[in-house]
Amino acid sequence: MPKPPASNPPETPSTQDGSQTEAPTEAGRAAPMVSRRNFLQGLMAAGATVAFFSTEMARAQSDLFRASDISDETLLNMYDRMLEIRWFERTLADRTATGNVRGFTGHYSAGQEAVAVGASFALRPDDYVLSTHRAHGHALAKGVDMNALAAEIFLKADGLNGGFGGSMHLTDPSVGFLGADGIVGPGASFGTGVAFASKARGDDRVTMTYGGDGHWASPHFQSALNEAAVAELPFIYLIENNGYLQYAANDMIRPVDTYTSVARSMGIPAAEVNGQDVLEVYNAVTEAAERARSGGGPTFIEAKTYRYYVHSGAAGVREGELGSFGPDPLLINISRRPEREVRSWLAKDPLAIFRGTLQEFGILDDNAAEERLQAARARVDEAYVFADASPAPEPEGGLDHVFAGQRAPPRHIL
Amino acid sequence: MPIKGWYYAQLEAIQHEMRNDDSMIFFYELTAPRANVPERIDLEEEFGRARVYNSSINEMWYASAAIGAAMIGSKVVAYIPYQGGTIPFDVIRQHAGKMRYKTGGMASVPAVFLIEESSQSPTLGPQHSDWDLDVYYAHMAGIKTVVPSTVHDAKGLMHAAIRDPDPVVYINPGRLRGYTQDVSDDPFEVAVGEAAVRREGSDLTVVGYGPVMPFISSVAETLEAEGASLEVIDLRSLFPLDRETLVASAEKTGRVLSVEAGKYTYGVGAEVLASVMEAAPGTVGRRIAYTDAPPPAAPEMYNWLQVTEQRVLDAARKVLQT
Repeated sequence: MPKPPASNPPETPSTQDGSQTEAPTEAGRAAPMVSRRNFLQGLMAAGATVAFFSTEMARAQSDLFRASDISDETLLNMYDRMLEIRWFERTLADRTATGNVRGFTGHYSAGQEAVAVGASFALRPDDYVLSTHRAHGHALAKGVDMNALAAEIFLKADGLNGGFGGSMHLTDPSVGFLGADGIVGPGASFGTGVAFASKARGDDRVTMTYGGDGHWASPHFQSALNEAAVAELPFIYLIENNGYLQYAANDMIRPVDTYTSVARSMGIPAAEVNGQDVLEVYNAVTEAAERARSGGGPTFIEAKTYRYYVHSGAAGVREGELGSFGPDPLLINISRRPEREVRSWLAKDPLAIFRGTLQEFGILDDNAAEERLQAARARVDEAYVFADASPAPEPEGGLDHVFAGQRAPPRHIL
Repeated sequence: MPIKGWYYAQLEAIQHEMRNDDSMIFFYELTAPRANVPERIDLEEEFGRARVYNSSINEMWYASAAIGAAMIGSKVVAYIPYQGGTIPFDVIRQHAGKMRYKTGGMASVPAVFLIEESSQSPTLGPQHSDWDLDVYYAHMAGIKTVVPSTVHDAKGLMHAAIRDPDPVVYINPGRLRGYTQDVSDDPFEVAVGEAAVRREGSDLTVVGYGPVMPFISSVAETLEAEGASLEVIDLRSLFPLDRETLVASAEKTGRVLSVEAGKYTYGVGAEVLASVMEAAPGTVGRRIAYTDAPPPAAPEMYNWLQVTEQRVLDAARKVLQT
């Protein structure tokens, strides 16, 4: 019986986390059949003139271009990483809703996993990434240790940053994660500086800054793009358009429909991608990284995605259920998130889409999907156990790290 | 030792550090990093545009870019002309100053923000002849702020600032740009956080920094002829502040007069006097500063408001009588 093409959303959305229980398909039950992907790879090996190396034709036939350069193992790693991010954020949201957290735990990125994972896997481990205040997914995708991440969010001594910064300042230069940032906008300018220094050294690293809808109107937005273009910097500016900047819908703050307009006007290659599809994001960032590494300068990418929770906090969250619904007391009155809006995006869930794709490729069946889900949940649970058990920092520790190698003299004690 | 100009001495320091570290970067706008006497220095010619970058007029951008570059370990000097002196304020405050701290020591910003103050001349008007940003930066957590008053210190503090693992706001008094002095060709450091006792004395300590130091030196000479012995302290570093030197001097002379080019309220004088009077109660402490006002354009008004040598002399005489 004909299967729906992998690029359409599945028909039966229930729990959209890879734990969905649609009717078992022939691909899941039968002996391994040749997947469409294998078939195409076979064609290539046979020397068929597949329109594969022509980027434009490949784009027009996006199924052909998908994931050809990614091994099965890497595809599954990407899936695992998305699962981990999803369950990390869901756990945090649920615990926040039930009052079982320490620290500031409000900016969840559940729903945006495909952007973080697609982008991070398209970059090299030694490339640099700068993030926003909604950074947990970005950090995990880049390779930050999950235990240290959870402990830092809970402001514990074993946290990634010693409990000094928490959720909005997660930083781990050892994996190229130059940090979450609590201030909207300057990450783009910092990123161009990283790219500038990188280029000056003659290394071939790429720097990518994530931004949100709130970046558009920042003075840093145009500044960074201008300088990146003029100096031909190896820089990728990736805006996650999730429809909102804090509580305002993004149509309130821009006179044009696309964030790519400024980049295009400066001659910077720009792309709008479906941020729910991890492989589309992967492809776009791969192309941008190749351009950057070969001296071709910056790229701007707008990825359309959605966050299932409100801007900050756990208003409308019911434990065990994905997403937040109902009134958010902090919502600006003229801009609301209707329940159907949230549910229509749940129907285009990035995990469900990728699961469907991997099933289409014949590398993931229902049993394997369930196993991977449980393994991801176990890793997440372990991280929170670690965070809960980690001690709080020493009170006098706040005198450290003002300047290198010295303690600040306390001035509140006579 | 050769006679060098202020800017030459700074460029010489930067050039030396850039020769020793291939990844070091210099950002600037408007003023080319070039000088000709005694030798030709041209940073852009020597190191190329990949390392010496003439930015568009966007201090916010290249101060931010300096922060990014420093975060991956590239030393940076970002030259901010006085017109743009506080445009990068927020990224220096929220990011440069707080980076080491908010990451628990995992990231840092070894950058130098070379920020000019105007040359304080009449006719240009309030935005172009002011002195007013030193304490804004000196007050920021995680930022070191230095202000040289001699060509020798301009070079030495530049070496120290570049080598410092933490962000340094290096304030460049425009009025002193024309100065020359015998200065060694070799690199040397003037330590951040150390004041200089320019002259030893026993009757009155006069404390200043940057553009007022020439007046204070002159006043000390004048008063010596009248039988008064002044101790003159050049702060050199607004943060960290060398309270040890200040307090030792206050304990010796019993009288402290602070002189500054910046504004009176919440100015450097407030900090100097609070510091000495806490540690040496009974010290007679006084301060003169610029009035809590911008500078006007008309020379009659402008000149009348200036902290001049005469004003310092009058104030010193008054404090000596206390």
